[in-house]
Amino acid sequence: MKHKSIVLLSIAAMMLLFVSAAPCQTFGSSGNTNLNVTVEAEASLYVSTANTALTSTGTLFSDYTGTTNFMYKIRTSKTSGAGNIQLKVTTDFSPSGGPSVANPPTAGDALTYSCTVSSPGTPCSGTQTASTTSNTPVGSFGANARSAREGNSGSVAWTLTNDPLYETGSYSAVVTFTVSAT
Amino acid sequence: MRACSFLHVVLILTPATAAFAGTATITQNISVQLDSAGKLAAPSALSLLSSGLAFTDFAGSLNLQYRFRTTPAGSGAITVRAGADFSPSGGPSLSSAALRYSCSGAGLGTACSGLQTVSASAETPIVQIPGSACTGGGGSCSAADPVSIQLQFSLDNSPQYQTGSYSIPLIFTISTL
Repeated sequence: MKHKSIVLLSIAAMMLLFVSAAPCQTFGSSGNTNLNVTVEAEASLYVSTANTALTSTGTLFSDYTGTTNFMYKIRTSKTSGAGNIQLKVTTDFSPSGGPSVANPPTAGDALTYSCTVSSPGTPCSGTQTASTTSNTPVGSFGANARSAREGNSGSVAWTLTNDPLYETGSYSAVVTFTVSAT
Repeated sequence: MRACSFLHVVLILTPATAAFAGTATITQNISVQLDSAGKLAAPSALSLLSSGLAFTDFAGSLNLQYRFRTTPAGSGAITVRAGADFSPSGGPSLSSAALRYSCSGAGLGTACSGLQTVSASAETPIVQIPGSACTGGGGSCSAADPVSIQLQFSLDNSPQYQTGSYSIPLIFTISTL
């Protein structure tokens, strides 16, 4: 009987040893961790000229001109990526009586622009006409395009028809720039 | 696969081979030398993620568990270094000090202060353990065993990085004096 009890105690002790040796976390004098990161295509833009003044200089009824500067950051996909910068007149000139992108007083009156986009971007070609209904191009990017860490520069040089039909006064419109990358 | 505890005491009871009558007292002195010791456990991988806003830094939090016992005159430390630079090339790199971390919530000892920059050539601090410290048991020791410390990693999200997946091995080392 006594022998049987001692054997049972021995078994219990062995079970205790088994349980205590069960794994939980691997502790050691050193440990390794792999840090993983996936870098995706992305883009952002900052318009540094918050208010662009369009002014007429020189001869009478010369068109109004002005420049909007911006900075962009972009990273397009290494193999099949692309990107672009566009703009759209999201709020037409107000108040009424002056210039208008959507309903100019004279056919042919327009808000046009030309583009400058530093590498790796390609600026829009020629003269573009701004629209209230669709985005128009400012710049484009190919695959694996990567701007500088601090961003790259670009600008839009505006020209607005100076139509004698415009009533005197101050007018303003809102232009929204958009950048995208795939 | 390793056991969970520092020290296991196993009592092995064996059947007595003979029965003795009467009573005897035997004094047995048992002594043990406890030296400074430390162990740690780190997750095998951590993903650094960007918040969704364009070009916001990648970030991730890592929980490092550790156990320590230091002698009154001793001390201990946990440090980290990179086993290599990010791979493949074309993405982030340690050469531009792109990977940083801060430490918080040390269960035992003093966490590193401020932002630390991960290096492949030098150990950088995570936690410093004073003398006469230990994990577990309460009192002068910590209540919990193991204890943990949180590391908040931050990685630059430069437009210059090519798209793709990148990885870097980190090596955490524990030392005792």
